[in-house]
Amino acid sequence: MSHHLITLMLLLPFIGAVFQAFLPQTDKEGSKSLGRATAIASSLAGSICGLLLVVGMQPQSSELQALEVLPWIGSFSISYRMAVDGLNVLPVLLIAILFPVLIAAEWDQKIGRRGMHGLLLVLQTALAGAVCAQDLFLLFFFWAMSSLPLYFLIGVWGGPQRETAAFRSMVAAAVGNALFFAALVLIYYSIEPHTFSLSELSGGKLSKQTFQILGADLSVAAVAFGMISLGLALRAPIWPLHGWFIEVAEEAPPSVFVAISAVCVPVATYIFVRLTCSLFPETMASAAEGVVWVGGLNLVIGGICAVSQRRLKVLLAYVCLSEVGLILIGIGSLSAAGMVGAVYQQLALGLGVAGFGLLSGVLMGRTGVGEFRTEAGDPVLGGAATHAPMMALVAGVVVVSLLGFPGSGGFVGHSLLMIGSFSVHPGAVLLGCASLLLATYYLFTLYRFVFLGPEASPRAKAIQDLTLREQAYLYPLVILLVVFGIYPKPLLELVRPTVLALLGSIQ
Amino acid sequence: MNDILFLLPEIYLAFTLALVIASEVAYHGEPRRLITGLALLGLGGAFIQTLLAFRVAPVLVLDQALSMDGLSLFFKLFFILLGALTLLAARSSRELSEVNRPEFSALIIGCTLAMSIAVSATDVLVIFLSIQVLNILGFLLAGFSKRSIRSTEAAVKQLAFGAVAGLLFLFAIAMLFASTGSVSLLDLHRQLVQAPLPNQAALVVFVLIFLSLGFQMATFPMSLSAPDVIEGSPTPVSGYLAIAPRVAGAAVAVRLLLVLFAQPELEPGRWQILGGVDWPRIVGLIAGLTMVSGALLALRQTSAKRLVAYLAVVESGFLLLGLLVLDQVGVGALLYSCLMQLFALTGAFLVLSHFWDELGTDRLSELKRLPRQAVPEAVALVLFLASLVGLPPLPGFIGKFALVGVALQHQWSFLAVLAVLAMAVSVIALSRLAYGLMGDLRALPSQPASLDSRPRRIFLGALFIPMFLLGIFAEPLLAWVTRSIRFILW
Repeated sequence: MSHHLITLMLLLPFIGAVFQAFLPQTDKEGSKSLGRATAIASSLAGSICGLLLVVGMQPQSSELQALEVLPWIGSFSISYRMAVDGLNVLPVLLIAILFPVLIAAEWDQKIGRRGMHGLLLVLQTALAGAVCAQDLFLLFFFWAMSSLPLYFLIGVWGGPQRETAAFRSMVAAAVGNALFFAALVLIYYSIEPHTFSLSELSGGKLSKQTFQILGADLSVAAVAFGMISLGLALRAPIWPLHGWFIEVAEEAPPSVFVAISAVCVPVATYIFVRLTCSLFPETMASAAEGVVWVGGLNLVIGGICAVSQRRLKVLLAYVCLSEVGLILIGIGSLSAAGMVGAVYQQLALGLGVAGFGLLSGVLMGRTGVGEFRTEAGDPVLGGAATHAPMMALVAGVVVVSLLGFPGSGGFVGHSLLMIGSFSVHPGAVLLGCASLLLATYYLFTLYRFVFLGPEASPRAKAIQDLTLREQAYLYPLVILLVVFGIYPKPLLELVRPTVLALLGSIQ
Repeated sequence: MNDILFLLPEIYLAFTLALVIASEVAYHGEPRRLITGLALLGLGGAFIQTLLAFRVAPVLVLDQALSMDGLSLFFKLFFILLGALTLLAARSSRELSEVNRPEFSALIIGCTLAMSIAVSATDVLVIFLSIQVLNILGFLLAGFSKRSIRSTEAAVKQLAFGAVAGLLFLFAIAMLFASTGSVSLLDLHRQLVQAPLPNQAALVVFVLIFLSLGFQMATFPMSLSAPDVIEGSPTPVSGYLAIAPRVAGAAVAVRLLLVLFAQPELEPGRWQILGGVDWPRIVGLIAGLTMVSGALLALRQTSAKRLVAYLAVVESGFLLLGLLVLDQVGVGALLYSCLMQLFALTGAFLVLSHFWDELGTDRLSELKRLPRQAVPEAVALVLFLASLVGLPPLPGFIGKFALVGVALQHQWSFLAVLAVLAMAVSVIALSRLAYGLMGDLRALPSQPASLDSRPRRIFLGALFIPMFLLGIFAEPLLAWVTRSIRFILW
């Protein structure tokens, strides 16, 4: 096909970012609004390309679509290979929806607004590139590119302990990227002719390769699988490597934390599925049990830790941890429904967490506190539903979707996941149900402490209802959560064939 | 007469050097500023002349003492460019007083001349002499701020270590001369192919030469002096000393190791070991030690210049990776990495020099005091260094990938693991520096950028352009450097 939607999707935000960097720095109102307008316009333009891409996809096909190939570094057979298929269509959609929202959420940023918008735009390019790349090198290139803007976003705009948080996130990212890089080099040189193309590497070609280190023969597939999984686990929060994530949750500004938890994390799980299932099907088949175990552990630990949290964003971090565990259970089930559910849940998780995170940012902006309960367990705020009804409604839908109530995006993902996994790992699914009950407890406690009951302090009166700008970026999120929950069919039709093909190659 | 034509770049440099010295003596006051311009003109001329020489087939000149082949031309271009960039970068530094500027230009041109000869020499004595000249000029450069104790210390260290390294080298070539009766590389190669040295003697010669070059390249046991020298010198000089001797050492090492201790295989573009010493094993060990020790030590530094110096040491380890695999892909990756370091380190030290002028220190804990308008410089510093250590989206990554890749291809898996480890640790060290830079950006009042920062920013931007072009056009560039070394003359 001749349209270059993927390239445009990557390029337009990047051009916007470059423009932010070169805009003359004045305090004039005109220059300020020009900066903002170009930031949101370039992000939206990239998003529209992404949406067009999703809309233009052929359902019921497991082929790569909108393929763009351009040789880049021929002597290392690295090419610019971009395409979408059923696996990455939902992350593309997620990125397209969330980044304009994030820029809108930082519309009135007081300090270095242009820098922040520019970095968010770079992040949009990097993540969209990582999602669409069909070349291992290119995928790594974009994935690693996403870690640098995050470092600056946390380190410059974060809370009082921002340097530590930024440093820890950078250490985690550096180690994760190094592992990923080592796996990439190993894969490249273990196959003849050397190649990075995912389609040429797939199909179990790596399973029989071995290499020597210090005299011991090791299987390339097993080692590379381990390094990639560990590398991604350091970027997505997987217990026990989640320390940096919690710290970032406390220190990062809400929109940046949303960029990490609602976009980077689903993208990391997507990369995990993409690489492990297509490159090392046999290793994946034998390691599936372990993936489910890791998922179950995350689920339980995330849930238990969430119960005792007093701060909104940290609670969200643990919710995210536990949701990732659920997704891993779906992936590890290696069943069609479970896998489709896991892919769908990436989208639902992203939207739900984004809504939650942005709302917590709004609340913190109004009241100046990050906690919702005192150490004694009494509400800090309370009663907001009466004077901020729209906010209460939005929060309600988000919470309900995170819990997977029928009619919300989370329901489709959760139920598919559990149905698919039940036949394979009934224990894990029961665990999942239990932790959802736990989540119902802590999320509704949170809701009650903030929105219902009497006003516990004068600060609670400060909660105004959503402004027009906040409505403009929160309503679409909520509406999409409901729409994706009620009518998921078109999206599932896009996902299903690719997942079936992938599972077919594993079995 | 033909010889003269091929030597034109060196002749230009020598004339420029003479003119700079003469005009320094002759002029006082304002015309002095023109002297830097004169030096730049001379370097530009030499650069163009070297480019022209590329069109001619490789030749030996001056009674086979110098070889004008792809390798030497590449490095000549490199050093002339480095000299010019250093002179430009030092223009606004307050560490070098205006009065001493012409001397600085003269020393830089002298170093460029010495290195140009060193990289093209095919006579071990010429190599020795030119490297010694470089070391002595480096001593003068390191001690350029005469009143600073640290600068003096740096100079003394440079002199002492340089002298030891020189003696080791001299001893090695004496041994070679004793057994073969020749000092010409080509002659030595021919004789060694026919009758290799006994194993013990070859091992001693190799270790001596490698230790001596190790001082130039700042590889493991000899790397410990380099950060002291780089930290103590005035910052514009630090930038020069962090690149020039290391790359000159690498260039000489390519020629010496491939000619004295290896011979071409039947398959073009590959070499095999000559004699019974398995020296790639030694080089591999040293490369691993250099990378890991450099990265770990970088982690603990409290001075920004010293931290960057250790990152440069890590780079030396990576350069060795390109050397030990004995094929032209490896050497090509080495040259590519050198180019990347040229822009990244020059840029990084330019920013550090600016910070030094602003703060009078380079302590990581003091960097927080930077005024807010230094933010673009701070970001540029992080980007330059991230590119140097090979943080993935930045262009330095491709050079690293190529080097780690060739190591893996030749079954040096363990070394590849160490290399990746060193990369990760250097990224963490770098983020410590970035952590220090971030400081209280929001607390400081915003002021419009002052006018005098504009040339510096333009220069920084201009350094980014070739760096990113290197990344984007890595393909043709790698092909070009690989092609240029195909003509190493034996």
